[in-house]
Amino acid sequence: MTKNLKIIGKPTPKIDANIRVTGEAQFGHDIQLPNMLYGAILRTKYPVAEIISIDTSKAKKLEGVKCVITADNIDVNNISYRRDHPILKKGQVNCIRDEIAAVAATSKEIAQKALELIEVKYKVREGIFDPFEAIKEDAPQINHFIDGKYPNKNIAEHFHYEHGNLDEEKAISKYIVSHRYTLPRVTHCCMATSNMTADYSKTDGKLTLYSTTQVPFLYQRDIARALKMEPSKIRIIQVVIGGGFGSKLDMYPYEPICALLSMKTGQPVQLIFSREEEFIASPTRQTMIYDVTAGADENGRFTFRDVRVTLDNGAYTSWGATTPFVMMQTFSSLYQCPACRFDSTSVYTNNVYAGSFRGYGNPQATFALERTIDMLAEEIGMSKSEIRILNANFKGEITKQGLHFNTCGHKEALETVIEKVKGHTHPLVPSQEWKTKRYKRGVGYASMLHVGGGAKIYPSDGCGTTLKIDPFGYLTIITGSSEIGQGSETVLAMIASEELGIDISRIKVINTDTDIKPWDVGVHASRTSFVAGNSVLGAVKKLKEKISPKAAQLLKTNVDDLIYEKGLIKSVINESSIELDKVVRAIHFKEPGELCIDTYFFEPSSEFADNEFKGNVSGAYAFASQSVEVEVDTYTGNVKVLDVYVAQDVGKVLNPLGLAGQIEGGVVMGMGYALLEELIVDKGMILNPNFHNYKLPTAMDVPGIHFYPIETEDSLGPYGAKGVGEAPLIPTAAAIANAVSDAIGVQIDSLPVTPEKVLRALEEKF
Amino acid sequence: MLSMVDFNVISPESVDELILEIENNQSNNFRFGAGYTDLLLELRKQSGPKINVINLSKLNDAKFSAIEKTDDKIRIGSLITAGELVKNKEIQELFPVLHQAANSLASKQIRQVATVGGNICTASPAGDIATALVALEAICEILSTKNEIREVPIKEFMLGVRKTALKKNEILRSVVIPIIYADTKIISDFIKIGTRKSMECAIVSLAYHFLLDDDGIIKHSGIAIGSSAPTIKFTQGACDFLIGKKIVDFTDDDKKVFADKVLEYATPISDIRGSEWYRKKVLHNISKSILE
Ligand SMILES: Cc1cc2nc3c(=O)[nH]c(=O)nc-3n(C[C@H](O)[C@H](O)[C@H](O)COP(=O)(O)OP(=O)(O)OC[C@H]3O[C@@H](n4cnc5c(N)ncnc54)[C@H](O)[C@@H]3O)c2cc1C
Repeated sequence: MTKNLKIIGKPTPKIDANIRVTGEAQFGHDIQLPNMLYGAILRTKYPVAEIISIDTSKAKKLEGVKCVITADNIDVNNISYRRDHPILKKGQVNCIRDEIAAVAATSKEIAQKALELIEVKYKVREGIFDPFEAIKEDAPQINHFIDGKYPNKNIAEHFHYEHGNLDEEKAISKYIVSHRYTLPRVTHCCMATSNMTADYSKTDGKLTLYSTTQVPFLYQRDIARALKMEPSKIRIIQVVIGGGFGSKLDMYPYEPICALLSMKTGQPVQLIFSREEEFIASPTRQTMIYDVTAGADENGRFTFRDVRVTLDNGAYTSWGATTPFVMMQTFSSLYQCPACRFDSTSVYTNNVYAGSFRGYGNPQATFALERTIDMLAEEIGMSKSEIRILNANFKGEITKQGLHFNTCGHKEALETVIEKVKGHTHPLVPSQEWKTKRYKRGVGYASMLHVGGGAKIYPSDGCGTTLKIDPFGYLTIITGSSEIGQGSETVLAMIASEELGIDISRIKVINTDTDIKPWDVGVHASRTSFVAGNSVLGAVKKLKEKISPKAAQLLKTNVDDLIYEKGLIKSVINESSIELDKVVRAIHFKEPGELCIDTYFFEPSSEFADNEFKGNVSGAYAFASQSVEVEVDTYTGNVKVLDVYVAQDVGKVLNPLGLAGQIEGGVVMGMGYALLEELIVDKGMILNPNFHNYKLPTAMDVPGIHFYPIETEDSLGPYGAKGVGEAPLIPTAAAIANAVSDAIGVQIDSLPVTPEKVLRALEEKF
Repeated sequence: MLSMVDFNVISPESVDELILEIENNQSNNFRFGAGYTDLLLELRKQSGPKINVINLSKLNDAKFSAIEKTDDKIRIGSLITAGELVKNKEIQELFPVLHQAANSLASKQIRQVATVGGNICTASPAGDIATALVALEAICEILSTKNEIREVPIKEFMLGVRKTALKKNEILRSVVIPIIYADTKIISDFIKIGTRKSMECAIVSLAYHFLLDDDGIIKHSGIAIGSSAPTIKFTQGACDFLIGKKIVDFTDDDKKVFADKVLEYATPISDIRGSEWYRKKVLHNISKSILE
């Protein structure tokens, strides 16, 4: 990769920046179609109840109401990968999100009034809101649609992984610590609330969905299965997405509901959540309880990890139940670990169900692991930086789970953040001064490991690209991948610009229409720049095979001597050059004419995990370390994050601007998780469904964020790049909790670290 | 979830028109609207018959919308926004507690529209501006449809959440803060406890305003606590404790006695923002801190 790069690595504004800042961008909320109706959903009043009756007659009579649906007048399949989730509920409701009926009307206000006119009679039942209660043998069955995969009727999903000899490693462990950690329920807080506009044509039976999905092709299949339709009759048009963060990986009931309303009325229907509805009815990060036992030998080398996780699944299953797949990688392979046992159980409760969320379980796992490492260090009497460096991962390592670290910036990342935070820190205040010093400072470290080259979990982890150069020299990239704000379409344009010498202002990216774009598995696992980037590179290569011979002929030189630069194709031998568009026209308009268009499909070389969850599931692995300095006010319990130092193995920086956005956004999201955010539930009810009491960090709370990219140049990544999207969020909460613990000398075992928790911990200490 | 009560908006531009509108609406369901940062949320949660909103934002009257200083007092119109309070130099010098309180309200955007009158008349125990005004022992000037002014001390004005001493034919026109010992040393600040640096409703708050003589002896003290009881409380006992003493002389025990006296006025609840235990603990700690 010693090639002199022209645009890769240079700060490049997002190609969609202008339309976003001027308000021109068409979010789902902006869509207006002729004759469009407005949909609204009636949700249950109680988390757990029998539905005695639903009377929609008054709502149907209201002027302007075009359609009212309930479970009784639709013909659909259950949704979710476990097929345990009815789109509209009948007979019984199981959580406060449950959809009972839906209406379509000529205005939002009428739709809302119609909901008020639907009469539902409930018989309220006791619910189960604690996974440890739900898993007891005598607990009543919560979800009645499951297939009996597990003997316990309330287990939604179970994973077991192990490697090494746990008993032997335990025996040689001089130090062993055990601790329980509890992680909260947080939600994505996308600025654009959930939305969908469905447009069904009764004439040809085609359904067009203006959707915010981040996995359009899987979504097309899921919608088809739910609605008993042919997938190809469904066209997904992805609107500009106002925040994804993993929330748009699953399909939720509101989406087929909106489609059904359009199918029944034959008119377009738009359904938009209010903010309150968004808090109540959009997915959350899994709340989970971790029991971790881990050991080290007399030198501080890690020996084993024994981990049990209990996940609160909520009433229905979503992709979120598969997060242990990611979490086990952290326990098996982050820092060298000779033996590991990981056992996770996702349990049905009557709480709201979790979905997938940036990091996919990894922030929780990393919190539990990195807190445990601090405790081990304390037990051994070793410095918290030293123990991490001693056990860090290395290049060439093949972990016991089978992950191949072809490149690995873990140690360098650790050393960087340890060095950078030094000198900024105040030494620990000696214990006799606890009572007199009000503000105490502390430093915390944490690392993370995450897939950085896609993740083989679906039959294909690939992405297709079609490139087209028009006779005027403009390039159109039609990519299967999706833009959800992460800046990947800009990176794809940069890659094409680098290779073809076409200025980025002459590149268009088409990526929003399943009728046009080639297949891609979707935005997840930080995979788009890696997989779609490689796909663009493959397509460029094929296209050049078409263009270069013609150019060489016109320039009277060899194909190997050509370079593409500034809209020209040049010969490095005889210094002659020709405009790219001229060559295109020469190919296109001569007999026999040919289009400058080509398609390529890239499939990463990764493999599926075997039935023991072992295997090299990603094309590359990303590492990151963070160090954090905090100041704790022991009078109020407030934690102020002063500085966050981030060193991340990104393989290669493609767009420094886009990368900075990911890093800063990720750290702030991680800080919210660490200190502020929690969806507070009581007996299945959500008590803070608003930004007033759900504390999202504001611009005022943002700490100093200092970023040091580590470029390990992975041979499989485009220009050596790895995935970066999820990583910056993953270690932040762990590092902050470690810093708070360092500052005040108490163990932090749950998030968020609220002022009240800090004061209570201090109170118990003295 | 989207539903909101229907309303009409009436926008008087002079005091005469305002009085007329209040009179006309005596038999109707009506509300005043100033910056709408509280009212709109409230109307969102309501259903029922249409109501009339008497919109004050078009009102053109100095007593409602100016800050006027004389030798012995400052008058603040009820339509003065938090942002205008923050910018006012005299308030910054004479009443730092009020400056700080206004500056900690919500966010810069909200401060441009949220008014003093709205903050008082919402009568929330968490009202930041109102808490500072209680510490400053401000007087509310109430205008009636008879075009007469009635004066009520602010701590008697706010009676409970959304309950005030206003009668149906009255409106809060302005508040007056007496200026005492104008050339002595001022120790005055507003401490707001919350988890974020902005957009926070106080978990508890402490407003204090001390005037010291040249020898450092406390001559005057006003202390109020917010989010600690059903209404904002003026902590008379704690204020009295300080009079005639010097801050530098306070022992750790004195500070504790003082904090205990503040706590005597605190009967906080437990809610999702903080438990009773936390509110009391923090209030005690920050009460001590102001004497450190
Ligand atoms: C996002 C957000 C954050 C907030 N943060 C804070 C905060 O940090 N601290 C804080 O103290 N408050 C906060 N508030 C509450 C609110 O902004 C303040 O209480 C504000 O001062 C209200 O003023 P207003 O002009 O908007 O009042 P309005 O909403 O216009 O009116 C409020 C009430 O007062 C009545 N009223 C208004 N003026 C008069 C008058 N002259 N005479 C009689 N009655 C009158 C109205 O009828 C209504 O009942 C916040 C609100 C929001 C939406």
